[in-house]
Amino acid sequence: MIEVKNITKTFGAHKAVDNISFSVGDGENVVFLGTSGCGKTTLLKMINRLIEPDSGEISIGGRRIRDQRPEQLRRGIGYVFQNNGLFPHYSIGENIGIVPRLLGWEATRIAARTEQLMEKLHLPPDQYRHAWPHELSGGQQQRVGIARALAANPPVLLMDEPFGALDPITRASVRKDFKELDELRSTTIVLVTHDVQEAFELADRIFLMDKGTIVQQGTPDQLLFEPGGEYAREFFEEQRFQLEAARIGSADYPALIRAFDHFRKTPH
Amino acid sequence: MDQSESLWQFMQQQSGKLLQQTVQHIGLTFISLFIAVLIGLPLGIYITRHRRAAGVVLGIAGVLQTIPSIALLGFMIPLLGIGPLPAITALFLYALLPVIRNTYTGIDGVDPGVREAAVAMGMTGAQRLFRVDLVLAFPVIMAGIRTATVINVGVGTLAAYIAAGGLGEFIFGGIALNNTDMILAGAIPAALLAIGLDFLLSLLQRMGAKGRMAAIRVLPAVILLLSSLYVFPIGNNSRLLAGFTPEFMGREDGDIGLRSVYGLKIRTVVISDAVMYKAIYDGKLDVISGYSTDGRLKAYDLTVLDDDLKIFPPYYAAPVVRRNVLQQYPELAPVLNKLAGRIDDSVMTALNYQVEYRHESPEKCAHDFLVSHGLYHPPRNGSKGTIRLGSKIFPEQYILTDMYAELIRGYTDLQVDSKTGLGGTKICFEALLNDQIDLYPEYTGTALLAILRPPLHDAERLAANRDSVYAYVKHRFNTLYDLEWLDPIGFNNAYALMMRRKEARQLGIHTISDLADYLKKDKL
Repeated sequence: MIEVKNITKTFGAHKAVDNISFSVGDGENVVFLGTSGCGKTTLLKMINRLIEPDSGEISIGGRRIRDQRPEQLRRGIGYVFQNNGLFPHYSIGENIGIVPRLLGWEATRIAARTEQLMEKLHLPPDQYRHAWPHELSGGQQQRVGIARALAANPPVLLMDEPFGALDPITRASVRKDFKELDELRSTTIVLVTHDVQEAFELADRIFLMDKGTIVQQGTPDQLLFEPGGEYAREFFEEQRFQLEAARIGSADYPALIRAFDHFRKTPH
Repeated sequence: MDQSESLWQFMQQQSGKLLQQTVQHIGLTFISLFIAVLIGLPLGIYITRHRRAAGVVLGIAGVLQTIPSIALLGFMIPLLGIGPLPAITALFLYALLPVIRNTYTGIDGVDPGVREAAVAMGMTGAQRLFRVDLVLAFPVIMAGIRTATVINVGVGTLAAYIAAGGLGEFIFGGIALNNTDMILAGAIPAALLAIGLDFLLSLLQRMGAKGRMAAIRVLPAVILLLSSLYVFPIGNNSRLLAGFTPEFMGREDGDIGLRSVYGLKIRTVVISDAVMYKAIYDGKLDVISGYSTDGRLKAYDLTVLDDDLKIFPPYYAAPVVRRNVLQQYPELAPVLNKLAGRIDDSVMTALNYQVEYRHESPEKCAHDFLVSHGLYHPPRNGSKGTIRLGSKIFPEQYILTDMYAELIRGYTDLQVDSKTGLGGTKICFEALLNDQIDLYPEYTGTALLAILRPPLHDAERLAANRDSVYAYVKHRFNTLYDLEWLDPIGFNNAYALMMRRKEARQLGIHTISDLADYLKKDKL
């Protein structure tokens, strides 16, 4: 679906993205994981031409994005921002309907789609359709941001730290509802985050980034159990226990706590 | 109590004029505002996208803003003449900075996250501008438009100086005539206009998102509609156009007398005397109200129409001196009277011309005159005492005081201390009364109408006769103030109607009656 070849982007003397290549399959969910400043957001923004690469080639669905009009390209790519980026002068309903409107959908179709998405994201339409963004909580605003990105059924969804600005409890709740969206099955998702747990929870494949390059790529299990180098090992060390526990998928909490105690006492 | 009653009366009497001026003022304000928005808004948008140009554009607009309004109008006249065009241009230039700056600041202040979202969603540049940037910057842009409107209402009063109408006609007429009712009749509506428009625009500014979208569509039409209120101030449709000063417009011995005594019906605009002469010379005006000894009369080849029905009272000049000074130095009066009868209208006009137009110093001009008339004596030692000379703040007075100074130094042992440039009549007269100066040249008509202010019928009875006015003011000054009027110098610096010499000759107009007749015939 997405094909990235030898992409480089330099800001002044700083190489934000250094000759990166990768591809993402149809409907695949990939996560770019890394500390802030590793170049992951720059990489993401080059996919919908918010930033133009210095060199290299990106194609989506077999078409080079360079050859498309940026507006047309972007209308086919959903985008979720860390700080929601909702239009403060548009109601919730209007915010969700922005891209369908740009695409010239009929009003009834937009209304139906908006309503459908609001229900799926647990925003009762009657209560919130005419509300303003500032009247909503942070978690609700982020739900609207997700609905807006998905409104026109884009084949590709880009997410920039989509849950990063939320408190842990809200984050878990929004993430859960997000994961349950049936839209996601057919959507190719590229998500960037510094949150290891988030990456493990959402990713089919993880790209671990450092200093503008991809350090390791693979399934979550591969990264966790077969770290490809010192950086990867260190990156997961702190949360290894939780991650491993989550991978094992145990719901036996007392057993987990015993295991955790044991884990803490054991030198490693 | 009296004040508010007489003001109310005045406003009722002049309600037609007041309404016309108010409507003109609103029109003037909004035409220039409309152009300012038309140019300022795109310019403001442009500099948010081309940051390097921002400094230059805002800098130029800022410099324009710092030019004093009266000076800006002055710059406009050589380029654009008089009337609505230079007035609108000047107001437009003042309105420009707030519009550009607030557009820039407003759009710049839109949350970058929202702007990026608009791009990421696939909005085109125009869609982003009209659906996001302008709507979100709307309160700030409106604040700029509010500022510009209030500035325009204020500066718009100055339009009356260059024949563009508006409420300034009453304000400056009132100031010139020392008529408080008239000043307030212009100033109060102007202030209310500023406050009212500011309030209305503040409602727009605070409007919610839905209202803003509507406002962006409707506002240009409203501004355009208000602009159309401005019609060039034209009284009736005579072929000749007159330009009268605000003062002249409001005086019995001015426009009012011309209408009632001569039955003169002429298209009239109100204009400042600073630009009036140039305007008639350039053919923008055909008749003006001037002063009969003004040097520009000669410079611009104008002719004075004879006041055959005598509505302009005589303004003969003579020195007014403190009586105790004349008693202390008996030799002074004869020396001052050496000028008496020496300078007639044409001589004084020529002297004024040298100073005003040829830019010679009043001192040299005075000296040359005395030498050529055999009146010059070199200064003596000046040991006996000091005479303090005062003068009002225009060239004719400077020339006269310089002559008196040379005469006193040459013919007496007195020293001279010149305190020239004492503003207007009131300041000179108060200075004389309070023993700050010993003498200054005054005009009989001014003394009569501005200082003594006799009841109207007395003034009318006196007005036409040169000698009776002189005798009256001499007597009254003597008994009321212990001040002496010495002999008149000769010339009469009165109000006068003037035309271009060539045109007056072509049309066969020599007197004001001729002009009135010509206009009547011309209309038929």
